[in-house]
Amino acid sequence: MTGAAHLGARQPKAIQSALTVLEEVARCGSGVTAREISDSLGLPKATAYRLLNLLVQDEYLVRMPDLRGFALGRKVVELARLVAPAQPPEAVREVVDRLRSRIRGGIHLVRYDSEGVRVIDPDPDYPPSVSVRSARALETSAMGRLLLAERGAADSVVLGEDPELAGQLATIRSDGYAHFLRPGAPGTGCLAIPIRNREGLLVAGLCLSAPAARIDEPAEFLALLRMGARELAPLLA
Amino acid sequence: MTALARAINDPQPVDGIGTRSPVDGLDRRSVGFLDVLAQSVSAVAPSAAATTIPLLVAVVAGGATVWSLATAMLLAFLVATTINQFTRRIAAAGSIYTFVSRGLGTAASFVAGVGLLVGYGFISMFALGGAGYYLTIVVARFWPALTGSVFVAGLLIIVMAALCLLVLARGIRLSTRITLLVEAVSVLIIVVLVVALLVRLWPVLDWSQLAPGGIDPANFAVGSALALTAFVGFESASTLGVEAKRPYASIPRAIVFTVLGSGMLYLLASFSQLVGFSALGGTIAASASPVNDLAAAYGIDAIGLLLDVSIATSFLACAIASTTALVRVLFTMGREGLLPSRFGRTHPRYRTPFGAALVAMTVITVVLLTTIALSGSVWQTMEVLIVGAAGGYMIAYLLVCVAAPVFLRRIGESTFWPVLFAVLAAVLLGAVLITYLVVESGSARALGVWVFLGVMALGLAWCGLRLRGRPWLRDTIGVYDVPVTGDVLGGPAPADAAARESDRAGP
Repeated sequence: MTGAAHLGARQPKAIQSALTVLEEVARCGSGVTAREISDSLGLPKATAYRLLNLLVQDEYLVRMPDLRGFALGRKVVELARLVAPAQPPEAVREVVDRLRSRIRGGIHLVRYDSEGVRVIDPDPDYPPSVSVRSARALETSAMGRLLLAERGAADSVVLGEDPELAGQLATIRSDGYAHFLRPGAPGTGCLAIPIRNREGLLVAGLCLSAPAARIDEPAEFLALLRMGARELAPLLA
Repeated sequence: MTALARAINDPQPVDGIGTRSPVDGLDRRSVGFLDVLAQSVSAVAPSAAATTIPLLVAVVAGGATVWSLATAMLLAFLVATTINQFTRRIAAAGSIYTFVSRGLGTAASFVAGVGLLVGYGFISMFALGGAGYYLTIVVARFWPALTGSVFVAGLLIIVMAALCLLVLARGIRLSTRITLLVEAVSVLIIVVLVVALLVRLWPVLDWSQLAPGGIDPANFAVGSALALTAFVGFESASTLGVEAKRPYASIPRAIVFTVLGSGMLYLLASFSQLVGFSALGGTIAASASPVNDLAAAYGIDAIGLLLDVSIATSFLACAIASTTALVRVLFTMGREGLLPSRFGRTHPRYRTPFGAALVAMTVITVVLLTTIALSGSVWQTMEVLIVGAAGGYMIAYLLVCVAAPVFLRRIGESTFWPVLFAVLAAVLLGAVLITYLVVESGSARALGVWVFLGVMALGLAWCGLRLRGRPWLRDTIGVYDVPVTGDVLGGPAPADAAARESDRAGP
């Protein structure tokens, strides 16, 4: 009944709608009704009800005992691969692993996109300590500052807000890397090297977290990191 | 990160989800689509109906037989899509009885429930009797002395009733597999017969049999009402709501497939029988057993034995499927408290509604044998039973069609087309039910109508008395399978819960 053979040209749209409905149920929480979903997504009622019933049929959703509300079914776990960030390719991981074997400290690979920064290959031995999900957190890490510097170059509004930060971001642009010493945890710091695509756009970053003393004297491993970044650029751009 | 990804990575507990379903004890989510389909197909018994119903319809509708069957098919399809408004949303063992309670409340669900019990119960007896009747014919081919022996038929019925009970107890999968095989073989035999006949007649095929000229509208309505009886039982897959895997997908599909598939078979069979007799210069209405007569007239008499065996097995499959549905409705009523709690018991090992099966099979066999003994004829008993069964099914269908729009409005999922279909089906069914009862009450089978009305009245009186003694029934009627913690994201998986339980018990 199901299978790749049935995936016609219109199906990708249907899958997208189905994921949108699942996302809405996840957002609203369990017990959300069909009417509420059709209203908040702006879908025609008949379409929304059909999608909901299809998702219930396939057990991605369950109908609550009151028959009105919906909740996420256990089967959505199977969608985790679709909604979670993908693992970086093996070639990328080899480069990063080689750097990890040569440099003492935590080495993380991050991705930059329109939504901000995402760690795609955290160092298993030194898990990244900062959360970079909120905009405010961007200032408090080297990987975030690298992005701020990039945005600042494109949009001068950011620079006007805080003259001290503006100066530091200018330094990042001229140095070609960002570093940050964490005030809350004296003695540790981090450093981020940009990885750019052919057009010079920031697409990824290599980050090192290490004792502050070593971050202050980066010369010994800066060359290694830059070489790694050059190797990674064609793989990630 | 999206809300969905967050929910997957960090599932939140869901309020209002328990660890046990009220229909706990059945083998939940265990049977696949084929088994569900087999249940509906066998309950309809298309091969037995394809050999008998065209004759029944042709006697009243004459040249409009094929059109009457097509109209009945359309009506059955409307009812099927309306029932599927429920089967896509509720997984129940009580089928229409439960669905009506969710739309129209307790009183209406009593009427639908008793109607459904009459439908399934009478059809079970009809099918057991039919299997006995046709097996006796087969036996008589080898021992002519036994021709028409009611005693032999009674013995065969007892053996088959015991077989039914065994299958009901051992589990739904065994029974559906057997019935599907049996039904597939008998449908195949019918199709081979029909195709052989049409191939022979092809050069002189009389297409004018399809022309709906000169039909009396009243006869046409009666013909359609009779033709609808060939479809009843298609909804019985919905009694497997608890036991089916992916019930919200497989049950609606099985119901629609059954209506369309058996409808096509009826159209083909009735057309071939009409043209077959017209080519012989006679009419189908003058024949007592059209398919056998046709086979003989066209020199394929040898298939007669095969046909009798296939009809007998089709009846047996129908008996198994109908009792399967019957005991699940009884089980539901037992769980709710409408019937004594013994009806709600399940077999600890096979996880089947064994309590209801034991009582139901005993009652069915005793009543059937007593009626046959009193009337002295298996066939006359069957004629009375089929009238009652058809009445019961139609009342249940009518109520579920009225209930569907109310239910959809109640859960806030009412849209135009489903409501239109439901209203259309309800209006047509009302007309068909009244036509049918009026026509039958003036026929030789009038007793069937009075038995039907009498049993309905008795059943409703029981429900009324029970409700007076137990007012809390209003809150328990209408149980269905609900998601348990293992089904939702955020509930512990059954294995996890067990592990946690044992952790807690540990030192």
